[in-house]
Amino acid sequence: MHSLQHILRRALRSLWEHLYLNAMAALVIGAALLLMGVYLTVQYNLNAIVDTWDRDVHISAYFHDDVPEERRFAVRDQVAARAEVLQVRYVSSADAREWLRDEVEDIGPVLEELGDDALPASLEISLAPEASSTPEAISAFAKSLEGPDFEDLDYGQEWIERFNAFLSLLQLLGAVLGALIGVAALFLVANTVHLIVYNRRDELEVQKLVGATGTYITAPFLVEGAAQGLVGAILSLVGLWGVHRLLVVRLQEALQLGLAGELAFLPWPYRIALFAAGLLLGVTAAFVSVRRFLATAP
Amino acid sequence: MIRMYHVQKKYGEIAALRDINLRVEKGEFCYVTGPSGAGKSTMLKLLYGAELPTDGKLLVGGVDVSKLSDRKLPGLRRNMGIVFQDFKLIQSRTVGENVGLALEVIGTPRADIERRVQAVLGIVGLRGRGAEYPRMLSGGEQQRVAVARAIVNDPSILLADEPTGNLDGAMAIEVMEILQAINLRGTTVLVATHDAGLMERFPYRRLRFEHGKLVQS
Repeated sequence: MHSLQHILRRALRSLWEHLYLNAMAALVIGAALLLMGVYLTVQYNLNAIVDTWDRDVHISAYFHDDVPEERRFAVRDQVAARAEVLQVRYVSSADAREWLRDEVEDIGPVLEELGDDALPASLEISLAPEASSTPEAISAFAKSLEGPDFEDLDYGQEWIERFNAFLSLLQLLGAVLGALIGVAALFLVANTVHLIVYNRRDELEVQKLVGATGTYITAPFLVEGAAQGLVGAILSLVGLWGVHRLLVVRLQEALQLGLAGELAFLPWPYRIALFAAGLLLGVTAAFVSVRRFLATAP
Repeated sequence: MIRMYHVQKKYGEIAALRDINLRVEKGEFCYVTGPSGAGKSTMLKLLYGAELPTDGKLLVGGVDVSKLSDRKLPGLRRNMGIVFQDFKLIQSRTVGENVGLALEVIGTPRADIERRVQAVLGIVGLRGRGAEYPRMLSGGEQQRVAVARAIVNDPSILLADEPTGNLDGAMAIEVMEILQAINLRGTTVLVATHDAGLMERFPYRRLRFEHGKLVQS
């Protein structure tokens, strides 16, 4: 108990006496966590966008011209009866013309020239969430529709697969980048703490000579490291909030992307993870530095 | 208190100590003497565990120091006091904090530390100087602070490596008188020195080293 008091007192004293170096260590941790936080925010929002698209997967199945209308209705009813399907709507050639006429200005003369059957009739199919959770499931459902009735199937397969591949790549890059940032930050913070240890080398040497254990000598530095990590995490969150307000939201407004509502700030579990990462960085850097010194002290 | 059996210490191919056999009894006062490079400091480093012998067996207070692990080193040092020629005081700490360090590391309550520090500062003639910083003291006074730190936890053995090396005659005598008084209270004292005048003025057993060999004990 008394040892704990001595350790805390020494940690607070050292924090104050080496305020500049401690602040530097906290800034380095904060910068590393900010980079990680920006990456996590981007990834979190991209995942949210993909989730939104996945929930609203839509397949257009275009009939051959020679399929009679009764057969088209029969196929519609068969498709509607399937468990994977949420909703089916039959769009006749005339409906498609009307829709296009409404959507695209001045297209009327072109459509007149092309004739009544220029646009094929189709089934517009909305899938249930459980059937559209992966690109593979969507692709499998679309393939099951292939046959003599349909001329073409359109469900943005290539696009979804490419986007998922891009997300996987982004995750891999994030993991590599995160590891590199972590190692670089650990190296920088360990060297900053090493300066604090170096400034206090006489004291640490004397402590060892009068019988202090390695744990007793190391503990105040771990407390300092934890404080650096916590302050660094707070700085990174403040910085992240600033980046979010100034850049992300304004950029979204400027480009009027409207992809998935307002881009979200990092949610609480991620923020807690950033605090944990800050603590881990600070404490590990302190541990490495002090143990390196103690190994050479008499 | 100290037993050495065929102790040898080598740094690469260079032998700093060769085949040392020695007994020092509890309560003795001994000089470790000899010319520069004879092995005096190496001998003391082995005793306080800063170095391990290359060969042989070394017991200090019943503890086998020749095979001492890092984990057991603090236990050895808590039972001994060490005084250095350059004092090794922490300049950013007060005299009282420097002296109390040996008690602080073993978790002694602050009130007990205060009481004990005042008592030992009285023994070394620095009563009431606990709030001053080392840089405000003379060399002799700083060495007396180092001695106070070495004895604050009532060690059974006190090692002093050239404790008067940086002091003038009068100050050296003051420090020796304190060491003598500590020895009279039952502490085993080993002083490494090559100051012949001092050894004549305070005549005790001499352990003389030459080229790493113990030539007189």
